[in-house]
Amino acid sequence: MSNTAAAAAAVRSVRRIASWTDPAALQRARLTVVPRTRRTAPRLPFIALITTLLLGGVIGLLMFNTSMQQAAFVENRLRVQADNLAARQQALESDLQRLNDPETIAVKAQAHGMVMPGSPAVLNIATGKIAGVPMPATPANNVQLWATHRRPTAR
Amino acid sequence: MRDPVRPNEQSRGSRRGSPHLRLKVGFLLMAIVLSFFAARLVQLQGFDPHSYAQAAEKENLHTQVLPAQRGRILDRNGEPLADSADGLMITAAPSITAEKAPELATLLATKLDLDYSTVLAALTGRSRGSTALFAYVARKVPAAKATEAVDDARAQGFKGLYLDDDPIREYPAGDVAANIVGFLGTDGPLAGLEKSLNGELAGKDGKTTYEVASQGTRIPLGDSTTVEPVNGTDVRTTIDGELQYYAQRVLRQADEQWDALNGMAVVQDVKTGEILALADDPTFDASNPGASPKADRGARSLSEVYEPGSVEKVLTLSSLIDAGKVTDRTQLVVPGELHRQDRVIHDWFSHGTLHLTLAGVVAQSSNIGTVLAADKFGNGQLRQYLDRFGLGRRTNVGLAGESPGILPSTAQWNHQIQDRVDFGQSVSVNALQMASAVNTVANGGVRIDPSLILGHATTDSGQVVGTDEATSRRVVSEQAATQMMKMMERVPDPRTGVAPQTQIAGYRVAGKTGTAQRAVDGRYDGSLTVSYAGFAPADNPRFTVYVVINDPRAGHAGGGSTAGPVWQKIMSFALRRYGVAPTGAKASDLPTMWGKGVDPHGRP
Repeated sequence: MSNTAAAAAAVRSVRRIASWTDPAALQRARLTVVPRTRRTAPRLPFIALITTLLLGGVIGLLMFNTSMQQAAFVENRLRVQADNLAARQQALESDLQRLNDPETIAVKAQAHGMVMPGSPAVLNIATGKIAGVPMPATPANNVQLWATHRRPTAR
Repeated sequence: MRDPVRPNEQSRGSRRGSPHLRLKVGFLLMAIVLSFFAARLVQLQGFDPHSYAQAAEKENLHTQVLPAQRGRILDRNGEPLADSADGLMITAAPSITAEKAPELATLLATKLDLDYSTVLAALTGRSRGSTALFAYVARKVPAAKATEAVDDARAQGFKGLYLDDDPIREYPAGDVAANIVGFLGTDGPLAGLEKSLNGELAGKDGKTTYEVASQGTRIPLGDSTTVEPVNGTDVRTTIDGELQYYAQRVLRQADEQWDALNGMAVVQDVKTGEILALADDPTFDASNPGASPKADRGARSLSEVYEPGSVEKVLTLSSLIDAGKVTDRTQLVVPGELHRQDRVIHDWFSHGTLHLTLAGVVAQSSNIGTVLAADKFGNGQLRQYLDRFGLGRRTNVGLAGESPGILPSTAQWNHQIQDRVDFGQSVSVNALQMASAVNTVANGGVRIDPSLILGHATTDSGQVVGTDEATSRRVVSEQAATQMMKMMERVPDPRTGVAPQTQIAGYRVAGKTGTAQRAVDGRYDGSLTVSYAGFAPADNPRFTVYVVINDPRAGHAGGGSTAGPVWQKIMSFALRRYGVAPTGAKASDLPTMWGKGVDPHGRP
């Protein structure tokens, strides 16, 4: 209520001021609404942009996914290959170990007519001196390669 | 029945009850229903959330164990004594494979070198332990071979074959050091280092978990977690594979030649205490332990105890010299027999009264001379020495099942017992213990713990073993050890001693024979344990070798004649293999006899 009273007082004071001055000025003092400008932006580029972004995203994601899948398949294939190669390496190494076994070497050496040396002796290459008493090895120096019979565990 | 008198409004109101009451009933019903939900929620989340979470995961997650590779057991040069390899088991679903079994069996038998009928039985579900859905075709097949065979079969359109991890343990050296290495059974380690160091060797299996599609195929980009396996640690032993091989073969040859029950041989590095060879015969093939009797699948050199006989005199007499009671030249009058409180002591050869020096007592291995000399010991003094030599205590080299031997306790110790212990009766040792005791003399009187592991390793019983842990302690003075060495040099000397078989041309060698009666079931049954212990080069020793042969029955067995040649061969091999040159010094010429008209460097 006090508001309307204040407003009425304000109108009255404006009219009082206007009555003292030019009525044209009074007319100008009346405010009017600015007319709204209606500018329509072209819609097509925006739709195209959004469509491109969406499509690009989806296609990119699909391609990325596909390539990851491909990589996973390749990884799997390579892993299998690595496993196979590791297994082959192991097989070859165990063959090598078998060939390196002292027993295998002893059997082959004896088959070639080789015998174990008997008496140890050391040749000093620098002085040409022999320490120890070298003696020719005889078949008696050879080790017996195989057990001839099974022995009892107790008696 | 509706009351016709009441107006419509009123009758409807009474049927529904008052709004407050209806609200209350409604809320109560909702509360009851919600409290059921809450109770279920508490049950799911509060009491056992893990099992439900796991059950949910199990639906579409597949877990595969990634087996850890077991550590290798190596010899001192890095050659494997036990090695691990990737292996696979081939299994079949007989309900699928039975249809084309003969063709598939032919293919697999050829590819895998298997027996056709065994494979056929597995494929048709007739093998032992197989069901319509599961049968073992082959186990522990090298991965390369198994994959190739199964891929081939699949390519030819055969279905129903599967592969699964089945790690292989290989023992490339067969029976070499099998007594030390031990072996694995199907469910775990059963003997040797494989068993005692299982914690070090085993490693920790890893696992990989991944999402599977409903058909069971792996989803390439699905959730997956992998815990990498932790492979086991390699264990490096002090064993020299080739020396071990040679020792085993020479020992077996002698055991067969002498028709012995069993034999043991130890080669020890004098300065470091490292065991270069620990041979047992008979032993077993670690790749095929089932082929040997159970009693042969361990290390008798550690588990079996016996009375050492005259080799023990080395410990008695070096202690006596250290105690300042005698010297290597002490002159003794040795009667033909010695009457003691509870028994009569004899020598191995019958003789009248002899004038032997202490060196002569060693060279001729006189029991009577040893007992007479050892009478000078204070009460229990010898026992203290033997305790410091390591008798009666486990060597703790890292193998389980070692016997500590028997050293009579302080309370049991008396004069009669000492008389017998003097020359190696009434005291029991294991071979490694005795080798280390003799090695003390070789090492200038300092006993060093024997070791079987280079570096260190922790046994499953929590003990840290290995060269890093080896400690040494002085047992007898250097002077006493030197005098003992010089007396032992008279043993291989053909002029003075009893074991000319143990000479190595050009080298100074020191040794001692042992011929003891075997105590079987608490009594001496007449059979013998013959042995020889010694070191070379005597004046700067590199190796101590100890050979024991149990119950030789062929011919006239003795420490020098039976164990001596084995000792000589093994020692020669070791000296040659390690390029140990002779020292070139003159051998000891300690007098062995004294008195008028006798050759001081002769023998009775």
